[in-house]
Amino acid sequence: MTYCIETFNLTKKYPIIRNYRDLLLHPLQKKESTALCDVNLRIKKGELFGLLGSNGAGKTTLIKIFCTMVLPTSGITRINGLDVLHNGKKIKKIIGYVICDERSFYWRLTGRQNLKFFAKLNNVPRSVMETKINDLLSFMDLSHEADRMFKDYSTGTRKKLAIARGLLTNPDILFMDEPTNALDPITAQKIRIFIREKLVNEMKKTVVFATHNLHEAEELCDRIAFIHRGKVKITGTVEEIKRMVRAEKHYVVELKKPETALLKKIFAFPLVKEIISISDLTETNTVEIEINTKNGSESIFHIIKHIIDIGGNVCSFYQKELSLANLFSRIIDKDLN
Amino acid sequence: MRIHSIFVKSLAFAHRDFINEVSYKFAFFMQIFGIFISTIMFFFLSKLLGDVGTSYLEPYGGNYFAFVLIGIAFFSYFNVSMEGLSKSIREGQMLGTLEAMLVTQTEIPTIIFSSVMYNFLFASFKVIIYLLLGVFLFGVDVGNANLPGAFIILLLTIISFNSFGIISASFVMVLKKGDPVSKLFSNLSGIIGGLYYPISVLPAWLQKFSYVLPITYSLEGMRLAILQGYSLEALLPNIIALLIFSVIMLPLSVFIFSYAVKRAKIDGTLTQY
Repeated sequence: MTYCIETFNLTKKYPIIRNYRDLLLHPLQKKESTALCDVNLRIKKGELFGLLGSNGAGKTTLIKIFCTMVLPTSGITRINGLDVLHNGKKIKKIIGYVICDERSFYWRLTGRQNLKFFAKLNNVPRSVMETKINDLLSFMDLSHEADRMFKDYSTGTRKKLAIARGLLTNPDILFMDEPTNALDPITAQKIRIFIREKLVNEMKKTVVFATHNLHEAEELCDRIAFIHRGKVKITGTVEEIKRMVRAEKHYVVELKKPETALLKKIFAFPLVKEIISISDLTETNTVEIEINTKNGSESIFHIIKHIIDIGGNVCSFYQKELSLANLFSRIIDKDLN
Repeated sequence: MRIHSIFVKSLAFAHRDFINEVSYKFAFFMQIFGIFISTIMFFFLSKLLGDVGTSYLEPYGGNYFAFVLIGIAFFSYFNVSMEGLSKSIREGQMLGTLEAMLVTQTEIPTIIFSSVMYNFLFASFKVIIYLLLGVFLFGVDVGNANLPGAFIILLLTIISFNSFGIISASFVMVLKKGDPVSKLFSNLSGIIGGLYYPISVLPAWLQKFSYVLPITYSLEGMRLAILQGYSLEALLPNIIALLIFSVIMLPLSVFIFSYAVKRAKIDGTLTQY
């Protein structure tokens, strides 16, 4: 298997800016926050890989390390076998970074002038520059807007131009940091289709795609790494992760409002792996307990019998279908606790 | 090949900045208009001064207007070097364009130098306008000018000023705001570097400080070359002084800058402001 991106125990710590009082009291002390902690990832050539995580999870830091913009604190990061610490120049030749921040363009230059400027910075030969820019503009369906100032573009057009800029050097690997952020659903969908069909299927690019949108990652990516607080919690294909979700059996048991002592007895029952949540339903004077069982469906009948044996009044129970969103929010909740 | 690539990129930066500048039509017009205003202002100021201070100005031909005209014209280069480099980094950080440039295949030193290419070209344009105005409207005599000598002084001036500018940019790279180098050198150079008056008017103890600033040698050399037509041999003390500044400061500034970039990459603040 050919991996074009690999990280081994990659860790990144940022120094924390301290206040004046802290500086005076402890001038030599160093404070750091961990943005990435022991990240181990392997991204295959030609795959569309999603870095999924909430804001501040560490996705952008990871992409910036891949693009040699940020130096890792420890661990190894390789792009096409090249260590990012020592091969900045070579790596920049094989990657493209789609910076979707609209501030990264010159607003009073036209789209074409912007592309021309960045093409020169990327050593695109003069002989092919015009053709390349024209091809990219037509590829991105921007030809009719190319000679208007960037400031007059819509958000969607700006994102398209950002992708065109990332493709100027025809890189093997493309990094995209939330390219559909702040777009209306229709334009976002168009860009997603473009990334999947044109960039990955047709042009055979490896695309690393950072997003906080679960549905987008689920719909688009071949594999996903879910990052939370700098740690990779789960990696796999959407199907693999879904199988993991299906392996967990969650049941919701509704019972007449029990005494605290009764609840404690339920929690302590050996076949109860975990209590996910307890919801108070005031209208019916009942509570719903979401239970993760130890041996799946076999256990639930023993659990129900146990609740009845200890005096609980069970009204109903059903198996809860888990979604990826449930799984990820559980990981986040566990971390918070 | 490498030099050609740097040249192409520098021109791309200059073209970008030119399009940007002329798109603000009124501001661009005011920049040009400012050259006329300051020339006229110093012309009348020199009339007011008349023969006062002629003894101080004698080494430069005795004409205050010609003296100050060369001063303000070439001080533009000083400003571009000292403030332009750090300003371009700060602007790139604040506008968000620096990150987009840093991920390209262009090396950081090329980005930094090229960022001020337009400013240098515009400073040269200003110098030409100042000199043309001085010569054709106000009768400044540059008939004896030693142009090759002035060119050598200018080249060394740019290198030595830029060294300080690079150090200043290094501070901006790490500290983001409030770099001490450009403020200190700009103020000191304005006061004791011989911009508006010859350093001979300063007390002897203060003159000693003037001689540790490259601008002193630069302005003096430029005036002697353009107004008095001094030969290369006569300009040698100024050339050697500027050469020493360049040889010591340029490698030092490149080293400091490389360290600053590494520091910013470690801190993850390369594009922050």
